[in-house]
Amino acid sequence: MHIEENPHDVQAADLIVGIPSYNEADLISFPTQKASEGLVKYFGSKNSVIINCDNDSKDGTREAFMNTPTEVPKIYLSTPPGVTGKGNNFKNLFRKSCDLGAQAIVVVDADLKSITPRWIKNLGEPLFEDFGFVAPLYVRHKYDGTITNNIAYPMTRALYGRRVRQPIGGDFGFSGELAEIYLSHENWTPAIAAFGIDIWMSTIAMCHGKSICQSYMGRPKVHKPKDPGESLGPMFVQVVGTIFDMMIDGCAFWKEVRWSKPTAIFGFGLGEMEMPPPVDVNIERLYDKFQAGFADYGSFWKEALSANLSKKLSEVKELPLAGFEFPANLWAEMLVDFAVAYKNCKNGKKKLMESIIPLYFGRTCSYVIESEPMTIQQAEELIEDQCGVFEYSKSYLLNRWFE
Amino acid sequence: MKKILIVDDEEVIRILYAEELEEEGYEIVTTGSGHGLIEIIGREKPDLVVLDIKMAEHDGLDLLQDIRKDFYNIPVVLCSAYSSFKGDLKSIAADYYVVKSADLSELKQKIRMALEGHIPHQSTQE
Repeated sequence: MHIEENPHDVQAADLIVGIPSYNEADLISFPTQKASEGLVKYFGSKNSVIINCDNDSKDGTREAFMNTPTEVPKIYLSTPPGVTGKGNNFKNLFRKSCDLGAQAIVVVDADLKSITPRWIKNLGEPLFEDFGFVAPLYVRHKYDGTITNNIAYPMTRALYGRRVRQPIGGDFGFSGELAEIYLSHENWTPAIAAFGIDIWMSTIAMCHGKSICQSYMGRPKVHKPKDPGESLGPMFVQVVGTIFDMMIDGCAFWKEVRWSKPTAIFGFGLGEMEMPPPVDVNIERLYDKFQAGFADYGSFWKEALSANLSKKLSEVKELPLAGFEFPANLWAEMLVDFAVAYKNCKNGKKKLMESIIPLYFGRTCSYVIESEPMTIQQAEELIEDQCGVFEYSKSYLLNRWFE
Repeated sequence: MKKILIVDDEEVIRILYAEELEEEGYEIVTTGSGHGLIEIIGREKPDLVVLDIKMAEHDGLDLLQDIRKDFYNIPVVLCSAYSSFKGDLKSIAADYYVVKSADLSELKQKIRMALEGHIPHQSTQE
């Protein structure tokens, strides 16, 4: 069930730009305008529409979207009152895309401040060639996207063998065929209905053997970044829980994967990369939250982690902030142990997932300290090294998962 | 026997790599420039390409993009005497990259990993 406003009575479209939102009245006009400009400039011969898929926002998001002057027609879709979740917005978009017979769908975040018309071209054009899924490549500040850097990217790369740098980037392109696959999937969980949707879409594309490319956006992603220690909210549990759920569903696939492969790249020649604005991180708060986790979740950790990893963790606990280090290999193997514990957990999965958060703060604290003197590019190399550590830990995963 | 194509404009490097990699059991073909590289790959059908970045007449990163257009699945290991090339986003289209060294153990390791890499074609989640 959904709410729809379709003033131009659009009944068919080749290309859709979807903008999911929840209370983004202040920001949604900008990406809407840029999407329209991109569709007109680069896809003038296509039948296009811009769809805002919203969670019945009460802040005037619908009005801000519908009142934005655009040359391309617009549709407003919403979940019913009281139903929230980014994934629920996407489900409405998948359904509408199938109804309109779209060949290609591009989605961009409603809080984007740096989107240009070219983003629409670069996310959309490969879909009219041979590609089924397009992920963005943009420069982000080294402290922006820490769930991506420390979990989503290295884990999906090691599990599924595809190097997709921004698997939860929020800005994607996917084919109409893939929209049908998304819509037909039965394993729709509450986490996927919320922030788990991005990693779910990326992983489905990888597991269904869809041709994947990454597109240069040419500008950094500038949106509403958050200090990772300030307001993690339910996002962590939903994203990491979805990764673990998909490990259970897809183990026959990922157990055959060895190492990883680069993807095709689209959109070279955009010139010098613009640097993103700084992101402030409070490392004292990350460190304190890591230490507090021992009191709150120490017993959980002892059950989930192997004796060896528990011992190493207790050594990390003793390190003062000045010399703090949470090694990447310890982090990678801990995530393996938690994934196995999640698979075997009959009750209390939510608490198990929440117990990982202080450890994530510890790893993030260590990453921030290590990358503090680095340039963004040097920090990228650090993340690449961490991915190598995760790929090497695949044998540990195979042993633990199938023991 | 796996076949490796070495693309490097320094003859001494080509000889060194060829000798060391032949000892590892690979069949080696070499070329001293990027001229006709796509045709050479099409003809020789190597299992992997070791590609120098800074060559007198060609930029290895541009050659990498040319390779990717026609031979998306062929593993490519980039080699350079300079680590600064990692700053160029084009290098992510390579399977691996190594900084040139007299010790070839890292190159051999990356070649092994690139050749061992495997992703199933068909989904088991269908």
